[in-house]
Amino acid sequence: MSDEPRSSGTREIRTDYLARVEGEGAMLVRVRGDEVEEVQFKIFEPPRFFEALLRGRQFTEAPDITARICGICPIAYIASSCNAMEAVCGIELPEQVRLLRRLIYCGEWIESHVLHTAMLHAPDFLGYDGAVEMARDRRDIVEMALRLKKAGNEVMRVVGGREVHPVNLRVGGMYRAPTKAELATLVPELEWARAASLAFTRFVASFDFPDFEQDYAFVALRQPGEYAIERGRLATSTGLDIAVSEYEQHFTETHVERSNALHSTLAGVGNYLVGPLARYALNRAELSPLAQELAAEVGLGEVCRNPFRSIVVRAVETVYAADEALRLIAQYEPPDPPGIEAIPRAGTGHGCTEAPRGICWHRYEIDGEGTILDAKIVPPTSQNQKTIEEDLVGVVRQSLHLPDDELAHRCEQTIRNYDPCISCATHFLKLEIERT
Amino acid sequence: MRAAACLGSRYRGDDAVGPLVADRLRAAGAAVLDCDDEPTRLLDAWAGLDLVVIVDAVCSGAEVGTVHRVEAGDGPLPRDLGLASTHAFSIVDTLELGRAIGLAPRRVVVVGIEGAAFGMGDPLTPEVEAALGGVADSVLAELREGGG
Repeated sequence: MSDEPRSSGTREIRTDYLARVEGEGAMLVRVRGDEVEEVQFKIFEPPRFFEALLRGRQFTEAPDITARICGICPIAYIASSCNAMEAVCGIELPEQVRLLRRLIYCGEWIESHVLHTAMLHAPDFLGYDGAVEMARDRRDIVEMALRLKKAGNEVMRVVGGREVHPVNLRVGGMYRAPTKAELATLVPELEWARAASLAFTRFVASFDFPDFEQDYAFVALRQPGEYAIERGRLATSTGLDIAVSEYEQHFTETHVERSNALHSTLAGVGNYLVGPLARYALNRAELSPLAQELAAEVGLGEVCRNPFRSIVVRAVETVYAADEALRLIAQYEPPDPPGIEAIPRAGTGHGCTEAPRGICWHRYEIDGEGTILDAKIVPPTSQNQKTIEEDLVGVVRQSLHLPDDELAHRCEQTIRNYDPCISCATHFLKLEIERT
Repeated sequence: MRAAACLGSRYRGDDAVGPLVADRLRAAGAAVLDCDDEPTRLLDAWAGLDLVVIVDAVCSGAEVGTVHRVEAGDGPLPRDLGLASTHAFSIVDTLELGRAIGLAPRRVVVVGIEGAAFGMGDPLTPEVEAALGGVADSVLAELREGGG
């Protein structure tokens, strides 16, 4: 970081990249006196390249192609595209096949949430520059996190056939159903993961959180009887309850002049929030008893509006994901056949699932031969982008008394609250604060 | 044992150089560690190996196509190389973390190929494409040295 005079009365601060956030982006905070004049935040490039790549390909290729958008959450892209294609083909997944998809998704939640909470986010609250510095003093946290990540990864490997970019999932189900014995091998480590993430939740809940709340409009999937992950209707805290196929009637993306970014808005509401806080606010009552008790114990209440406490919600969701994975394994009966053959028919299908960072929405139009004519993908981070800007305005306004380096750090921390998944887009984030 | 760890995204211009080198190394029968875009997945795989050669696109301001070779020694990897892959947790930090908790290879060499275009859907620049074969050959030779 450099901190150099730019012109009289103006200071500019730059960091070469925003550490511990995937990829690249740009952020500008302009302050005049005590007023925050402008916050510009650009981290997400919409996945237009992939949408273009999909056109002309077979509908069955969409899961493998979209899985490449993100190395951290391939299952989100696979599951959303499968849901969309199954909707076009009129396929309803047999229950055990659907539950296998939910199980592998639990693995992804564990891996992704732990990477973020323990390795990328916790150092903010513990006063370390990053996990490397934290590891020197708190090796126990890093070792626990790596073991937890591995537990999630193992679920991906056993169900998905590979731990990186699983190959066993397809439109219509699975290529091969794992045996009961194969899933049983996951149980001891998942039991450990459930206990370890429980202790970790109590630990992160003890952090000192900035006193900051926003009146968010929450958006998440909702499915009666379960904490929605791999299916559901779209629900909002403003009272909307719609089918996934109705998304575009209520949500719009607007191109932002200054960058490649798109800002998503909800009609009549404006910007909104997806991800752990939204899921928790809308679906808390569907968490397992263990996760609900834990949430109550650590003081999350019915709704959490402090984005800095999202680390606690992610930790609770990690406990839930381990708990749910164990439940799914206990009830498992291998489906035979492991999937349904997908016969293409001309039409448009929609799919939406809860990626670790929030809803990942897909729409595809295919012809009668199964060729993809059009594709539209709305990832969670692009939906949160406008809300992140609003948080930054609020946080900067509240933190103007801080020296520039601490203010810059607080801004970075504010962005990290969202676990922004921008590997899909970018490389380095330039952070600039101007004061006049 | 010796292995390569090749980082990068096939869809992002010169960032694809890592995966493309990996393809050639695999075809020649060399051990390549897979982590996709999440380097901490390497920690268990590379712990205790005799040598890991990290292959990645870099962005240091040098002439495009320049091949940098850095022997990591005991110190941290140079941050000014701008190892360019899109990672949640950078390869530089992953190595440091591994050393802090005893999950690091005995020796690490970084082979960085200077890139120019990193946009989604960008083609490989001709200079990087020209460097590809030489990089793969030299990494292969390094991995085979000493019978590893």
